[in-house]
Amino acid sequence: MATSWPKNRRLIGTKVQRLDGPAKATGTAKYSYDINRPGLLHGVILRCPHAHAKIKSIDPAAAEKAPGVKAVYAIRKAGDELYYAGEEVFAVAADTEEHARDALRTVKVEYEVLPFLVKEEDALKEDKETAPPLQNSRKNVRAGAGGGQTQNVDDGFQKADATHNGTYGVPVICHQCLESHGLVAEWDKDGGLTVWASTQAVTGTAQALAGYFAGKYKIDLPATKVKCITHYMGGGFGSKFGPDVQGQVAAELARSAGAPVKIMLDRADEVVTAGNRPSAFGTVKIAGTKDGKITAYEIDCHGSPGVGGAASTVGPLPYVYPFQSRRKITAVRLNTAAQRAMRAPGHPQSCYLTDCAIDDLAAKLELDPLQVRLMNLPLTDPEALKNAPLSFNALKHTIYTKEIEIAADLSKWKEKWHPPGKGNGNGPLKRGIGMALHTWGGSAQGAPNDCTVLISADGSVTAQSSTQDLGTAQRTVTGLVVAEILGLEPGQITVQIGESQYGRSTGSGGSTTCPSQAPAALRAATAAKAELFKAIAEKLESKPEDLDIEPGKVVNKSANKSWSWKEACAKLGMNQVKATGTWTAGEANQKENEGVSNVGVGGVQVAEVVVDTETGVVRCTQVVGVQDVGLVVNKQGCESQMAGGIIMGVNYALFEERIMDRVTGRQCNPDMEFYKLGGMEDMPKIIVHMHDMPERGVIGIGEPATISTHAAIGNAIFNAIGVRVPHTPFTPDRVLAALAAKGGKS
Amino acid sequence: MKNFTYYRPQSLEAAVGLLDAKWGTTELLAGGTDLLDLQKEYIAQPDKVVSLGAIQEPRFKTIHVQEQTKPYAIIGAGVSLAEIAAHPGLKKNYPALTTAAGDVGGPQIRNMGTLGGNLCQRNRCWYFRDEHVPCLLKGGDKCYALDGENRYHAIFTKGHPCVIVHPSTLAPALIAVGAEVEVQGAKGKRAMALEKLFQAPRSAADREHVVAPNELVLSVWIGGQGLKNASYEVRHKQAYDWPLVQAAVAFTLQGNRAGSVKVVLGHVAPTPIVADAAAKALEGKEVTEATATAAGEAAAAMDGIKPLAQNAYKVKLVSVAVKRAILTAAGQKKYWEV
Repeated sequence: MATSWPKNRRLIGTKVQRLDGPAKATGTAKYSYDINRPGLLHGVILRCPHAHAKIKSIDPAAAEKAPGVKAVYAIRKAGDELYYAGEEVFAVAADTEEHARDALRTVKVEYEVLPFLVKEEDALKEDKETAPPLQNSRKNVRAGAGGGQTQNVDDGFQKADATHNGTYGVPVICHQCLESHGLVAEWDKDGGLTVWASTQAVTGTAQALAGYFAGKYKIDLPATKVKCITHYMGGGFGSKFGPDVQGQVAAELARSAGAPVKIMLDRADEVVTAGNRPSAFGTVKIAGTKDGKITAYEIDCHGSPGVGGAASTVGPLPYVYPFQSRRKITAVRLNTAAQRAMRAPGHPQSCYLTDCAIDDLAAKLELDPLQVRLMNLPLTDPEALKNAPLSFNALKHTIYTKEIEIAADLSKWKEKWHPPGKGNGNGPLKRGIGMALHTWGGSAQGAPNDCTVLISADGSVTAQSSTQDLGTAQRTVTGLVVAEILGLEPGQITVQIGESQYGRSTGSGGSTTCPSQAPAALRAATAAKAELFKAIAEKLESKPEDLDIEPGKVVNKSANKSWSWKEACAKLGMNQVKATGTWTAGEANQKENEGVSNVGVGGVQVAEVVVDTETGVVRCTQVVGVQDVGLVVNKQGCESQMAGGIIMGVNYALFEERIMDRVTGRQCNPDMEFYKLGGMEDMPKIIVHMHDMPERGVIGIGEPATISTHAAIGNAIFNAIGVRVPHTPFTPDRVLAALAAKGGKS
Repeated sequence: MKNFTYYRPQSLEAAVGLLDAKWGTTELLAGGTDLLDLQKEYIAQPDKVVSLGAIQEPRFKTIHVQEQTKPYAIIGAGVSLAEIAAHPGLKKNYPALTTAAGDVGGPQIRNMGTLGGNLCQRNRCWYFRDEHVPCLLKGGDKCYALDGENRYHAIFTKGHPCVIVHPSTLAPALIAVGAEVEVQGAKGKRAMALEKLFQAPRSAADREHVVAPNELVLSVWIGGQGLKNASYEVRHKQAYDWPLVQAAVAFTLQGNRAGSVKVVLGHVAPTPIVADAAAKALEGKEVTEATATAAGEAAAAMDGIKPLAQNAYKVKLVSVAVKRAILTAAGQKKYWEV
């Protein structure tokens, strides 16, 4: 049956506060860290202190006998090679965390320390072949891959009026989830496993653990006997998709101790091992004609996935704009933890390597970079316009053009933009404004997402799904959609999510959760409504097809009768209504379902900065984010996602950097002290505009929100001081160095 | 954290009596914002921890500001940074100090951290703080920062085998206004100019100060009322960060002429640095942007400055911080504010 959103929407698109806001604010919301089961043991993991080493021997005898120790587990054995400082070696579980840590320190491990590389520039200078084997090679430096086709750029460079050569780079940054990775694992008497895990893939984590134990111990452990619970979660950003080593280890320790075990990573382990975004450093040659048309773009870039095997560390290059282009991409594998997906993997890097070069070329052409962007936007695909008029390919030229106009208005671009370095400043303070564009998918997942709605005779309504709320306010989205369809208020819906037995769902990656789950909730609530009418029609002396919903009541318009929701539900008597709705990308692609969910968004961000040219300190004073979004489900949630993404982008621009030491092979700043994250005083005024097109349906925007902020800030600094600061973070020393290189000209 | 015996003595005398004559076996616990970190990271592994939390002796726990006759102030070492930052008498007379105290860390740190703890805290060098790096201050044979990641380290490196920066921001402010410190040992008290409290550590046997292992900091005395004074920090982040460079200044102002000038630098050397060259440049001069700039440049040209591979930018920041501190102290327009 065709699915569609209600034409008249009472709640969808309005601002609804988070249903779990009070629980989170008061601390009654229980995160994995807060779970304390009877007889709980604490697990801790011994990690290799060296960036590359072979284990010569492990002697855990003292740990096994240490006070309070209930179980030990050897993660690695003598002879194993370890490829980065922080790799897991051995684990113990004890009655207290203190006992566990004391015991861990008695484990004697002898290492043969091996050569290592932890900095991109060192690896490029001399490949020491210290990476884990990949396709029979241990080379640190290898050819990478990147999105896009390699084209002829020679003509473009020849016919250009100006060419700019520049370097641009972003370092490795760490996920820094506020709630660290980890879980509590408990086996029951029947051989089932329950984990309370901080994960962005509830069902995926349960399945992975089932597969791991069934395979390793040849036991019958169907996925239905492994339960994963994630009621509340403190951020993942792409780094929390599976049980991870600590998940397997906690369950192993729990199994041998016969007691529940908790392992939550401490901050240093979290920062070093539990996720990072790859670096990207590019040498760019870009050229254009005096009218602002960019004729060629060529890039040679490299970045590090750590020990990860990823061939690519960047997204589509060039980004957004369809220049004639040629690229060379190199992956530099280092003795550092593997990269993980981080909020729009590859895109922030590509955005930076593209959008900053545009402003530098615009300066050479003496053009306003906003105009240059308008000149080079992707064109409308006429085929798409004919066959799928609501698709991004059909609309992107229109969307970007409109968004640039809105962003320019909201930021007063015309008033504030000036040729780079030529603004009116007071003394050493220079103001600047900069823009950058981004794109993302955000479709429904290919695999099914279920939502189940139950209506009881007392009028209570429960919505269940195994999906997870990473802090994105997905719980509120589900409640809001069900409430819309049943004529109730969101707070009247009991939303039960984050338990793997509540049907099928997919991991929250790619901004797919809302576009997968909101339509599933729509279908479930619509089906539940129909079931309800069928069940109570006779008692209401109506035909099911004559019944309808109005806010708070069930109505029979033809008979001019109405019943309060409770009255109507009471007619269920001993019965209960239960209906499940399912959504997939395949469903979204059905013509009859057009406008329920969609894929593809564009966004524009404009940043303003004040640069203190005496100290090099940059303050970001304002960011305007204009985001194409399709149908907004919860405007408050959407705007909050945008603000969060922009905050992340400001940190990427100004503060964040993983600092590795080439002598020790260790991270210097595995903390929140010198791994810098801005506080409230460091944050700009954030202005969000949702460029919604409800007819397109729901599209996820969690990731696009953060893609272009740092590039916009980089361009704003260029606009302020008239010289490019090539690498993020834009620290005082880098800004001063750029100013000095410019030779004091201002 | 290694197990330890916890003591909570009721008097200063009892506290001092519990301390050992060598470093490593006993530690004093004031606010705990530094010691607990050090213990958790196994950098400090004391057998005994002596808490100062139960000590109520006024000399240790209160702020006394005398404004009449011979004006002075006494601040107990057990007073919290938040109390110092909010104290009206201190704010009026020693804005250098209250600004510095108010900018430390975040509210939690300022509520727990104490004056004594701030002066005696260990350095923040990331090599020192990593248990797995055998640096000079942990009994190793080399300073890893010298040729390593040293963007935040000392620029006054001449003669220093270890290139930490002293972390206290209260110390430069207090030294600028001529503070003296009173230290209590088993055999009584001794007092010294605050700048004499600090030393550049050279091995695991040294701390960043000269307080003996069986002494404790009792209080700080400040005369110097009537001095114009200010502290300026160049910070990467505004919230919760250490300064890249700090300058604290104090001087008398007659007409617009500066006298008895003192300039102290923080976060540039293993100890706070009294910048006599900068003071001399301003002494007797009218305070203007030009003379303040000249004083800043004199500070940045001091003997002893030899930046490391990654921190030459801090030399430039020294001149700016000194200039801005001078102009702030003199009550002139803060041209650098948005």
